[in-house]
Amino acid sequence: MSVTWAMNPTLPIVLPLLGAFLLQPIARVSAALARAVGPAILIACLWVLTETWLAQGGRPFAVAIGGFAAPLGIVLYVDRIALLFAAAVPTFALLFWPWAGTGQEATRESALLLLLVSSVTGLALSGDLFNIYVFYELAAVASFGLVAIHATGRAYVATIRYLLQSAFGSLLALVGIAILYTKTGTLNLAHLAQLAPSTLHDPLGLASFALMLIGFGVKGELFPVNTWVPEVYATAPARIAALLAGLVSKLAVLVVVRLLVLVFNQPEAAQLMLVLGAVGMVSGELSAWRAKDFPRMLAFSSIGQLGMVFIAFSLPGTTGVLAGLAVAFHHLVVKSGYFALAARWGGSLESLSGLGRRSKLAGAIYVLFALSLIGVPPLPGFWTKLIVLVALAQHGSLELVAMAAILVVTAIEANYLFRLAVVLYRKDKAAPAGPEARAPGLGVGLVAPLLALVLLAATIAIVPVTEGLRKVAAQTVDVASYVRTVFPPVSLPLAQKD
Amino acid sequence: MTPVDSLFLVSGLTLVVALLFGRQRLTASLLVALYGAQFAALVQTGTLFGDPVTASFGVTVLDQPMHWRYDALSWFFAMITIGAGFFCAWYAAGVWQEAHVKRGHSPWLFHVALAANVFAMVVLLGSGDFLSLFLGWELVSWASFLLMALGGRASGRAALRYLTYAFSGAMAILGAMALLYTQAGSLEYAQVGAAIPKLSAGQLWVLLALLGGGFAVKMGLLPFHLWQAPAYAETPGPGSAFLGAISARMGLYAIIVVIVSMVGVARLVDLSIPFTFLSGRDLIAWIAALTVILPTYTALQQHDARYLLAWHGIGQGGYMLLGLVVGNAVGSAGGLLHIFNYALTQAALLMAVFAVVHRTGTADLNKLGGLVARMPLTFLVLLFGIISLAGLPPMAGFVSKWMIYRSLITEGMPLLFVAAIVGTLGTILSVYKLIHNIFLGQLRLEHEKVPEAPLSMLIPMLALSTLIFLAGFMPGPALSWVAEVQRLVGLPQVQYSLGGVVDPRGGLDMIWLVSILLAGFGVGAVVFYGFGGKSQQVHQLNNYAGGHFLTADVRYQYSDNFYAGLMHLIGPWYRGAFRWIEDGVGGVVDLLSYAMNWVYRSVQPLVFLLATTVAMLVWAAV
Repeated sequence: MSVTWAMNPTLPIVLPLLGAFLLQPIARVSAALARAVGPAILIACLWVLTETWLAQGGRPFAVAIGGFAAPLGIVLYVDRIALLFAAAVPTFALLFWPWAGTGQEATRESALLLLLVSSVTGLALSGDLFNIYVFYELAAVASFGLVAIHATGRAYVATIRYLLQSAFGSLLALVGIAILYTKTGTLNLAHLAQLAPSTLHDPLGLASFALMLIGFGVKGELFPVNTWVPEVYATAPARIAALLAGLVSKLAVLVVVRLLVLVFNQPEAAQLMLVLGAVGMVSGELSAWRAKDFPRMLAFSSIGQLGMVFIAFSLPGTTGVLAGLAVAFHHLVVKSGYFALAARWGGSLESLSGLGRRSKLAGAIYVLFALSLIGVPPLPGFWTKLIVLVALAQHGSLELVAMAAILVVTAIEANYLFRLAVVLYRKDKAAPAGPEARAPGLGVGLVAPLLALVLLAATIAIVPVTEGLRKVAAQTVDVASYVRTVFPPVSLPLAQKD
Repeated sequence: MTPVDSLFLVSGLTLVVALLFGRQRLTASLLVALYGAQFAALVQTGTLFGDPVTASFGVTVLDQPMHWRYDALSWFFAMITIGAGFFCAWYAAGVWQEAHVKRGHSPWLFHVALAANVFAMVVLLGSGDFLSLFLGWELVSWASFLLMALGGRASGRAALRYLTYAFSGAMAILGAMALLYTQAGSLEYAQVGAAIPKLSAGQLWVLLALLGGGFAVKMGLLPFHLWQAPAYAETPGPGSAFLGAISARMGLYAIIVVIVSMVGVARLVDLSIPFTFLSGRDLIAWIAALTVILPTYTALQQHDARYLLAWHGIGQGGYMLLGLVVGNAVGSAGGLLHIFNYALTQAALLMAVFAVVHRTGTADLNKLGGLVARMPLTFLVLLFGIISLAGLPPMAGFVSKWMIYRSLITEGMPLLFVAAIVGTLGTILSVYKLIHNIFLGQLRLEHEKVPEAPLSMLIPMLALSTLIFLAGFMPGPALSWVAEVQRLVGLPQVQYSLGGVVDPRGGLDMIWLVSILLAGFGVGAVVFYGFGGKSQQVHQLNNYAGGHFLTADVRYQYSDNFYAGLMHLIGPWYRGAFRWIEDGVGGVVDLLSYAMNWVYRSVQPLVFLLATTVAMLVWAAV
């Protein structure tokens, strides 16, 4: 099959990148044009990705950049999971686009956002570690800028801490990559997948995985490299926090999952991820119990949820990836929605008293998300939790401990989420007047209602959704197909792939 | 479309009507009619004496089918549920609703919450596998939460506490489901039922702990009972009556489905607790017995009529479980029958108490008294109710309790029998306090002009009282339902007649018993009115004690702080150990949370990073 321009997977990476650099010059020519460019690019990206999905029907394919075949050239690998995550990027960027902003600051934010989009899309589509590392660094730079964009003193401090941690994490990841390269002589994932069983199943290989896990874990909010999370989310604009917590973290997780599935397919590596995930989950949810304001509560809860994502992905085979995907996408929708609400819900939790009575829709959405987050049937959160628990119950004792941990922290989660719900619907306090009086807030535009609708739609369409995810998961764990796609049988040169 | 579909449809329709038109005044009456229609739809399924009927809808998620069906057990519980919904909606429909609105509450929310509760239970009771069971379970939990959270700030706190307990229980159930799935490869009742006999004793204990614990939370079994009384008591009137009558029994329903029916009482008897002479059944029976005793004596301490009754609700649940795990025909029938009898009793009692609250504005037992002449019919309802609650003839509660006592004796469990009797003693003491402090004794000045409860509230109350008496006078019909349930879940079936239990070793015929009792009363009345009976009407505030006239603002000694003397004796026995445990758990979570916060707030995150990296490299090398 020929790769038409409309389904060229380089476009979703290149277009936003170009946009990011051209936005400032364009803004000098025409402010209106500059405002239109960003959304237009994102929509174009989305269209390309959709076209690709429709045309390919889920079959994976690889694209060699510049015509150099792998393992020498750079490869983009496009399969279901990559497309799914890649499509999520422009979608959520559009949802949290700074529509209202004007002037220099808005242009700068748009440019940074486009840079972020380009780099995290790259994370999803890249087929080799070198590219992944470059995109990861690019995403880090973009996110530093975004976090500190509405500069306050606290935001700067938080950003510096984030930057330090991120830099050290990257360094560790780089060491891990270096080990990998020394041992195998390649950074192409497909090539690594072929070589791994003979060269990497030893302590050094494991050490390299551990280093990369920590390195990429910084953005994936993995314990213990997630201590930047609460302060950054509490001080950054809610839209940015939403993107970092919802979207960027998942892309970092995807990188780790690719590594685990293709290269480090060994129980010790999975176990390491399970343990760190479990500790992260427990520590995050426990911290959220004492959180005094909504953004911090969300930040800690996000750490907890990502812990569960790591736990789920650490399980072998299709069930593991299915469980991970389910939790990851559920969290993507719910936490993004929560941060959208958080844009208006600053201040202490007590100051939110009676908010649910003043803004019925916002209150209802909060409760809906909370119910799904803790896993009340028939909402999607229940099914994700069930998949994870059933998968965990089928393995060893460590997994059973993780299962028990999930159950316990969910009870804690239910308590703190509904403690706030009771505050939201409290009656006996008169609505605060003056500057304290909040407009009945939905936060960022219609994002929260939209995501609530998505959640409800997924509830109704739970059967096709789970079946679809299962297909994605089955394809993801098919290592042989990955290798075959990148290195097609010799009779078919890569240039005229069919 | 099967009859079960229509039942779901009517129940769902009730909820939709409440959602759409709950703000209109007339909707309340329409809803009462709709609950009646649900009852008709339930009867129409004919699953009590006939075969189970499956709903025609269902869904398969991730290869797991979810389906619903009704059988005799579902019918029995659904009958009580819908009946309770019917009477509570009626009670709420007239004057109560107006007063509720005047207090600044939304009638819409109340109607929606009640309809949601009934619908959720209809769904739960129809569950045909563990997935639909869990779905229904959660629906019921959250619907109850909604109903509980309707009141003011106190009810919010109580509801949150309930939620924490209920959700922890749900998580235990979910964990058990995941484990069961690995053993049975399915969550269907049939496959799980087939897999359970193959489980080892250890696995079964884990399962019992998780499932039993989860179900026990909803039932308020010790040590998970603390949430129930405040949550139920703080719920607005008819809602409280509904929750008290049936909601807590959902735990019992699940216990019957899983533990009695799938595991079986025989297996529990075989399952010994290591290093002791006790079996699994003994353990459950003693938990049940302690659940009877401790909450009942806590009820004795209460000074709020709502709390007093709510605490009794916990204790009565213990009787039901006790009868069930005895496992013989009479005992298990007694346990099941007590569900029905108690539902009638508790609904009537709470309605009477809330009628008093409606008229006087308080349920504080130290601020009431002497209302018998002001609200005679309400008094009568409460009287019927407490006789039944205490398990005395001729009311319904006597029959079921008699059967439980009897089975404890015939099965050779004298200690449990004594425990049950001790519980009943506490019940009698506390219900006497209830009726005395509300209706007897000295009338308060401010209540001199209190009128009888409004008719819209009285009718359902009186109807329930009649049922309480009829179910005591002729327990046959209810026993026939119970016998069907026993057949379905594999328990030995009780032999019954219209008047009661048929047993070669001595049965019970309530028709005779009540006739003799009434004849005795008749003789007493003839003696009193025929020979002595020179009564003189005086005003109620015209009080004398010890030959002295008492003005109305002087309280004679025991109209408040009732049982001060008794409490002087047994007061030190109340240790609040469970509250202490609850606080302890909360404290531990808080402490851990504080520690975790410290980790995340630490100034030097890089230290952690470095330490972890080193640790991981060491781990990788080893």
